[in-house]
Amino acid sequence: MLRRIADNLFWAARNLERAEWRARLVDVNYHLLIETPPRDSAPWEPLLAIFGEIEQFTEHHSIADESSVLDFFTLDLENPNSIRSCINVARDNLRALRHYVSSEYWLDVNTLYLAAQSWTPEMFVIPGVYTFFSDLKDCFYRISGIRQSTLPRDLAYDFMRLGIMLERAEEVSRMLDVKYHFLMPRLEDIGGAADLLQWAGVLRSASALEAYRKRFGNAIKLDNVIDILLFDPTFPRSARYSIESLEVSLRRIASKGEAPRVIPKGVADLLDDLRLEKAPEAIQSGLHEFLLHVQESCDGISTQIYDQYLKAE
Amino acid sequence: MVSASVAEMGTSMPVWSAYPRHEGLFDEMVELSKSPRQACTNITRTLLSMPPAKLLELCSRAEIMFRRMGVTFNVYGEQRGVERIFPFDPIPRVIDAQTWAELEAGLIQRLRALNAFVGDVYGEGAIMNDGVIPRDLVLSCPQFRRAAVGIKPPLGNFVTVGGIDIVRGADGRFMVLEDNVRTPSGVSYVIENRVVMTRLMPDLIRASQVRSVERYPADLLQSLCEMAPHGNSHPTIALLTPGPFNSAFFEHVFLSQQMGIELVEGQDLVCVDHKLYMKTVHGLSQIDVLYRRVDDDFLDPLVFRPDSMLGVPGLTAVLRAGNAAIANGIGTGVADDKAIYAYTPAMIRYYLGEEAILPIVETYLMRNPEQRETVLRNIERYVIKPVGESGGYGVVIGPHASEKLLEKTREQVLADPDNFIAQSVISLSVHPTMITDSEGVPHLMPRHVDLRPFVLLGAKPRVLPGGLTRVALREGSLVVNSSQGGGSKDTWVLGA
Repeated sequence: MLRRIADNLFWAARNLERAEWRARLVDVNYHLLIETPPRDSAPWEPLLAIFGEIEQFTEHHSIADESSVLDFFTLDLENPNSIRSCINVARDNLRALRHYVSSEYWLDVNTLYLAAQSWTPEMFVIPGVYTFFSDLKDCFYRISGIRQSTLPRDLAYDFMRLGIMLERAEEVSRMLDVKYHFLMPRLEDIGGAADLLQWAGVLRSASALEAYRKRFGNAIKLDNVIDILLFDPTFPRSARYSIESLEVSLRRIASKGEAPRVIPKGVADLLDDLRLEKAPEAIQSGLHEFLLHVQESCDGISTQIYDQYLKAE
Repeated sequence: MVSASVAEMGTSMPVWSAYPRHEGLFDEMVELSKSPRQACTNITRTLLSMPPAKLLELCSRAEIMFRRMGVTFNVYGEQRGVERIFPFDPIPRVIDAQTWAELEAGLIQRLRALNAFVGDVYGEGAIMNDGVIPRDLVLSCPQFRRAAVGIKPPLGNFVTVGGIDIVRGADGRFMVLEDNVRTPSGVSYVIENRVVMTRLMPDLIRASQVRSVERYPADLLQSLCEMAPHGNSHPTIALLTPGPFNSAFFEHVFLSQQMGIELVEGQDLVCVDHKLYMKTVHGLSQIDVLYRRVDDDFLDPLVFRPDSMLGVPGLTAVLRAGNAAIANGIGTGVADDKAIYAYTPAMIRYYLGEEAILPIVETYLMRNPEQRETVLRNIERYVIKPVGESGGYGVVIGPHASEKLLEKTREQVLADPDNFIAQSVISLSVHPTMITDSEGVPHLMPRHVDLRPFVLLGAKPRVLPGGLTRVALREGSLVVNSSQGGGSKDTWVLGA
């Protein structure tokens, strides 16, 4: 497989995964705001802060209110990480790569792309935020299902999976951070009704609520939430599961070369942390710091993959 | 206009009562008596008797399918995101088995002669030595490439893919209008048009015994494999594209996908020790046959334009060393030059010892003083074409041109006679085509059409049964090019 193609596949899949998580994060934040009483003058700012995009946001918008933030995260083409921008990048990459994915996969991504071109802010009124994002999530589920059920497990599949799994590990830790920023200002609220409601929201937006209940029962505890989203070896959106999947793909890619290549060192290091770390310890030593560490490790792995496989020589 | 009541009236075809049938124009579907031609009765009975609303619905379903499949072309000079779909007319063009058999024989004959000519021009030059075609005419062709002299491709194949533009004059005889033997495009539309038609009207296609076009990518792949150097039976083949901004990019993606070969850009390739490689995630991998859709001038910056980023430095040397084959070969444009065209019947006689099966349009070379005088005396009766252009650019159609334009053209011809040819005006055949009026009501109207069949030359010739039928959607227009308001139709070659 050509380096340029591997690079394009990696980023196409990664952008779709990113778009999906943006949709999940905006959705969860929106619903957290509805369900909790207003207490903050700038309730949308944590979301912008998490993505490190406050500066970019303020370039084009004066206030961070519901409509400007929804627009920024969903529609804004000036924002390279808006849902629409991510879909555009993925589709533009795939347009040249139909050959490497199945035609069903291309058709579905192209259909989403065509729909995204006619999105307007009015959609947040009719059909409304809830319907819009839940429909959008369905689109991503379908695309992901088609990918898994129609693509052969070849290099194309594995390079796409690298992009997806890296993005997933990074985004799940970001999502925990969103909640963490909510949590910070008022320590006395911890464990209160509003707090639990928010954690339930986080689980729901990662589609983890049911898995959580199966494993831990009805009561929502912070330790357990962290456990399932970061350290669970079986839940498919946990950081650990994502990095383990990434490792499997990296091994498969390496084994197909004439001279087998080493797996980037960052992978083993991060896996050590995710396998050994327990939720109470992570919270004790600073959850925010730990989440940051996960995100930085993902960046490091991304760079190592780029140097090894994707960079044009 | 088509009316709902037509369906109940069976085969009496009142639909033709409003359809204008002009004398002096060959209609592909309708006899002068206004009854449908033999091969078209099936279609006229079902398709043309549909209520207008149903026809409109077919059109909108077709458009949705083309968009969803991403069957688009890029228009140069327009912004990113402007991907057009090729306007599609749902009324198919039908060619019966016997007519096709004759056309096919003529196409094969022609491609063989053109290929022999290219090999000769860059080899010993016998046709010029024997004075059949003037040497200075060949050497002054804008598409003549000195760099190709002495290259000996496997099988002697320079022209692997040819797109021959065919028209039908008033007498219904097929004629060659133009040869395309550089990087002819359009075949992906032929295949995708059929995919869409098969979904829109499966019963009609089955009942009509339409010959399938889906073998083309397999035939192309086979032809490319047969060209592999050193008799390699499992060659690595790649398609070289200029990239996503090229107008035919969709086709490059489509063909590489259908053939299961890599779609490469110049940046993916490198030449080492007179061998061609692509850069893969696991190192360099050798390429044996390159199907290139990049023009000569951009192919190898060491030999052609030094500023080109689309090609790969050293490619010409690889070909010369015989370590890779390329389709089509460098310099094949010398064979589809518009002045050389005038000599193609002589070419067929010279190389094959046969008379041309397909006639050409009477052509006058403006470099020849006598022919020039004849044409300039009545310039309004001729079509004037610059020899170096393609895509219909720069063509002046005498009978449709203003006095001013004719005068300007006359001056241009006199200033640079080598650059122009003149041809008699051909009244292209017409075909019933769906035209929507300003109120959104569909009507069937005659519109001019041409046909671009595709011919492959590997170890043996292979012809796609059908081709791209292009239709000039504007009333009276003779220009069918997609860049200038043309559309396309599915072309049905019927089984014997």
